Amino acid sequence: MSNATRTVPAEPTTSGPITAGPAAGKRRIRTGQERTNWPATAILAACTLAVLVPLYVTISMAFKTTGQAVDGNAFSLPSPLSFDSFVQAWTLTNFPRGFAISVFVSVTAVIGEIVVSALAAYAIVRNWDRRLFRWSFFYLLAAMFIPFPVVALPQIQLTGLVGLDNPLGVAILHIVFALAFNTMLFTAFLRSIPLELEESMRMDGAGTWQVFWRLIFPLLGPMSATVGIFAFIASWNDFMMPSLIISDPEMQTIPVLQKIFQTQFSNSYNVAFASYLMAMAPAIVVYLFTQRWVMSGLTQGAVK
Amino acid sequence: MLPPLTPAGTRVSRRTFLAAAGGALAAFGLAGCSPAGTRPTITFHQSKPEAVPYFRDLAAKFTESQDRFRVLHDMATNLSASFVRSSPPDLGCLNYNLEMARFMERGALSDLSDLPEAASIRDDVLDLTNWYPTYAGRTSVIPYSVMAASVIYNRRIFAEHGLTVPTTWDELIEVCERLKAAGVTPIYGTFRDPWTVAQGLFDYTVGGMVDVRGFYKKMHEIGEDVGPESEVSFQKTMLEPVQRMVQLTKYVNPDASSRGYGDGNTAMAQGQAAMYFQGPWAFGEIEKAGTDLDLGTFPLPMTADPADLKVRVNIDLSLWVPEVSNGQEGARAFLQYLLQPEVQNPYNAKFLGFGTVKDAPPVTDPRIVEMQKYYDEGRFYMGASQFIPNTIPAANYIQSIIGGADPEGTLRRMDADWARLAFRA
Repeated sequence: MSNATRTVPAEPTTSGPITAGPAAGKRRIRTGQERTNWPATAILAACTLAVLVPLYVTISMAFKTTGQAVDGNAFSLPSPLSFDSFVQAWTLTNFPRGFAISVFVSVTAVIGEIVVSALAAYAIVRNWDRRLFRWSFFYLLAAMFIPFPVVALPQIQLTGLVGLDNPLGVAILHIVFALAFNTMLFTAFLRSIPLELEESMRMDGAGTWQVFWRLIFPLLGPMSATVGIFAFIASWNDFMMPSLIISDPEMQTIPVLQKIFQTQFSNSYNVAFASYLMAMAPAIVVYLFTQRWVMSGLTQGAVK
Repeated sequence: MLPPLTPAGTRVSRRTFLAAAGGALAAFGLAGCSPAGTRPTITFHQSKPEAVPYFRDLAAKFTESQDRFRVLHDMATNLSASFVRSSPPDLGCLNYNLEMARFMERGALSDLSDLPEAASIRDDVLDLTNWYPTYAGRTSVIPYSVMAASVIYNRRIFAEHGLTVPTTWDELIEVCERLKAAGVTPIYGTFRDPWTVAQGLFDYTVGGMVDVRGFYKKMHEIGEDVGPESEVSFQKTMLEPVQRMVQLTKYVNPDASSRGYGDGNTAMAQGQAAMYFQGPWAFGEIEKAGTDLDLGTFPLPMTADPADLKVRVNIDLSLWVPEVSNGQEGARAFLQYLLQPEVQNPYNAKFLGFGTVKDAPPVTDPRIVEMQKYYDEGRFYMGASQFIPNTIPAANYIQSIIGGADPEGTLRRMDADWARLAFRA
């Protein structure tokens, strides 16, 4: 394994003014108080409007009355303030039940994706010299090129046959379809963990399971956070898979239930946006609490 | 760099994980035990959004009224997927169209002709289902509500300018000219949404001049030989109506190409235009704005003879029971419940539909009352755009004609698409 050589701390040369070039060399002296790049800040601030403006419309629409929602002024403030849309959305979609099902699918998908992919990646990386494991990695990667819609019909029949035409089946399919990408992320990250750590633990008598759960899995933390967040967003927002796979209308997830608000012939903007807002809240809350790990996870994965 | 390997910390995280997994499984297990009771459950698929609370209420009432079946209202399941899985809803209550007719054509829907209610449906309404491919010897579909569509017009704007409802093509053009001269937008166009062009301008102009049923019957017979030489073809039969359609676009609002269905409803609610080429489904949307309006409908006159006037209809809701359904008995019982006059008539009155039974009461809503005459006399057609398979992007082709594409060339392309599809089939 070449992992041993990578544990050497990065040489300090990379932190010097190499990238800045000779002309910019002097500017680098004021470390720690870099000047604000106003043009870039202005551009980025303008870019945030792409998110903030629709978000504003979503929130203000949700509090409008039906009459005000269709008056053609999306940007106007709601007056009078109406909570009626929330009540309607709540009862029309049977929100608590749909919400519970969505939470179940997402939690199962997140836990399942992290655990299964981490185990697979660990087995593959530590047995890279064996052909079976190497090829199984390529086999898994090949699955990245098969999107769900292509195999949707057989999946509907298969899940129906084995009794998985329910939220659990959707969660399992999420785990399986994300396996390829997640395993790739985990393998890249695992290669940077020195084998010596593991060897020292084995010397103290730890078995493979103990090594994995006590050493490797905790070390994979940042990458698990990244995988988990992608898994959460993908499964929470997914429309197609639950709409096709789940056969019992009482077990349907929130995004599918919400489709009745917007059809070709009718739009209930205020009810729809109230419902979207309620469905969006958990995703935003999860992101607020975990964005630190997402960011670190992304860079960790990139540098290896 | 590495976090210290504290055994306690690891144990906790592992326990937390197991607890979370266990909790998730328990949650699922509990969700599985919904109170189903002992009676068989009938799945009732109905997804017309505005009618969801109405039918949910009916399902609850029926469940209470007897103790043999429980009706479960389903608005979310994907229909095609449920047929693929061989677990379709026990009773469907949906728009009947070319897509739905595929199930009928392949015999997936059971025969309902033995029900006494099937005989009470008006013959010419029941016959509408035969415009689509059928399955020989079966009455698989019972029309529940028919929607009649024609030009929506603002009565007050017409009265202000001393205009009467046009009954011939020349009168129509005159009305448009006079409105235009008076600074009023004659027609509100929503050309950003292709379907509004196809179901509005295109269907009305074609339906007013062409025998839609006969046209498609011949088109299917000619099949792959459809072309400039064939007896009927888009480029030959439809050219005149399409040219008139293009002529009408002279009278639309200048920003029509960037306006969608929602904008059109808002504009009509605010009285910004005199005419609007939409069906009664738009009334519900226009109503949401809560403005004081006096709207009516009239069939688009396409010829010089008022006797040619016809309205566009579609089977907005139809009832059917799939062949593989396990709950056919319950489904039929609920179907019969829905077809009782005291259940069916209030639905049609509330949602601006026309009754399908022979003794259905006439509509009373002033917005659609002018179409009753045509409906009673059987002077109706189904939209020409509804009989083109989705494989041919007809709505987009028609939209491009409105946008300035050459009508002849575009219709020729539709013929080529039709012939290619027939060759492949």
